[in-house]
Amino acid sequence: MKRIIIAFLCSTVMLYSQAKKPSIMIFPANVWMVSNGYVSEIDNQGSKVQVMDYQKAFDNNADLYSVVNKIENMMKERGFPLENLASSLKDLVDKKALNNMDANSNGSNIASSPRDMLLATARPDIVLEITWSVNTLGPKKSVTFDLKGLDAGTNKNIASAGGTGNQLMGAILPIMLETAVLSHIDNFNGQLMTHFDDMFENGREISLDIKVWDDSPKKLNDEINEDGDELKDDIKKWVTTNTVKGRNKLINSSPNMMTFKEVRIPIYAEDGTTAFDADAFATNLRKHLRKTYKLPAESSAIGLGKSEVVIGGKR
Amino acid sequence: MKSKTKLIFTFLLLITLSINVVAQERKKADKDTEIWRYEIEAMQTGVTGTYLIKVWSYSKKPEVAIEQSKKNAVHGIVFKGFTGKSGVPGQNPLANNVNLEEEKSGFFKPFFADGGKYMKFVSTSTDGAVAAEDRMKIGKEYKVGVIVSVNVAELRKDLENASIIKSLSKGF
Repeated sequence: MKRIIIAFLCSTVMLYSQAKKPSIMIFPANVWMVSNGYVSEIDNQGSKVQVMDYQKAFDNNADLYSVVNKIENMMKERGFPLENLASSLKDLVDKKALNNMDANSNGSNIASSPRDMLLATARPDIVLEITWSVNTLGPKKSVTFDLKGLDAGTNKNIASAGGTGNQLMGAILPIMLETAVLSHIDNFNGQLMTHFDDMFENGREISLDIKVWDDSPKKLNDEINEDGDELKDDIKKWVTTNTVKGRNKLINSSPNMMTFKEVRIPIYAEDGTTAFDADAFATNLRKHLRKTYKLPAESSAIGLGKSEVVIGGKR
Repeated sequence: MKSKTKLIFTFLLLITLSINVVAQERKKADKDTEIWRYEIEAMQTGVTGTYLIKVWSYSKKPEVAIEQSKKNAVHGIVFKGFTGKSGVPGQNPLANNVNLEEEKSGFFKPFFADGGKYMKFVSTSTDGAVAAEDRMKIGKEYKVGVIVSVNVAELRKDLENASIIKSLSKGF
């Protein structure tokens, strides 16, 4: 009887467990942004850096609106609605304006650091990059497109499609693009599905950066026991123990930093129901450092796939 | 009177025999479907959510091959996929598990039965008319090519709702 109850509870738990859904957003590819002039140059400590001006692109290019709308509709029909870049940009502006005006009863404003401002941009977990061009041959027109799905946490290409649609006469861009994308979207979604299947089987792939504050009481090469193990050795051990099948890759390490890639974290926390992500993984490492070495540390994440632990203090 | 009865008896026998032959042919065509004995050719990009394909089926009776083409089209879209040609890309099968047909035989047997649910997702684009070059006699049987349109969006939804294949958002 006890077994039956346990089996029932387990099956109920599994039924209601849901992994965190990755946010997907369509961005016009950099090559399209540059060729259409939606780019601004900023001076970053003497060196000129090009920054994509997505707000300007959406404000001035009706084609971009139609193209993004068309692909969003196709994905919605497949039961996977996307987040909209233009709405996210507007939301960020609204939030910034609201934060600037907000104050509590003591007259204190909403706290915001330069880092917060840098992070306050549209950051989906999966970026769908689209670029297209219209080919004209006499009265006939066709569209050549490229659609690329990038995992923002790992920068890996997880799906891609591209091709040229049929030549049409008198058709408008959204129709031409629909014709071109239509026959590729199922295979594109198939690749996305393979990515999700892999995630459910082998864990979510994230990257983890370990950094050290200047005034940290411990550096990564400080010895932590009489066997001569260094702090970085213990972190490597912890990461291996807490990843799915111990999968991770240490890309580089120094006394001040460690970079882990292809870190496969579980989809659910130990209780089997709570969704687990990069932030939860970094938090667990921070707590381990605190508990084992009384080391203060700061943990944070960007989206579901990038995490960071800074050892030696708080921001 | 006797000769009249004989005539009616012979007539009924002939009808029964011909029904039997068609039924046998249908059974054989179903077996051919099960062992993937059909070919799918990409035609052109259909309207949203549909594939327009030409299905080549085999039978001693052309009309059986034509009817079987609809079944083969849905079977092929679910389990086989098809390769593309210039301007029309190929498509992967809806099922990415190669053993799905056996594992979910309880679902697929009635689904692909004569007059089964597969009929809901397929239609012949030329009302079953076959171009002369698409009807070939090979040995004792015919190889017939029929252009059909498969409503893949609805087919996929149906299979997802029955938990036969996974949806894109499954697990989130």
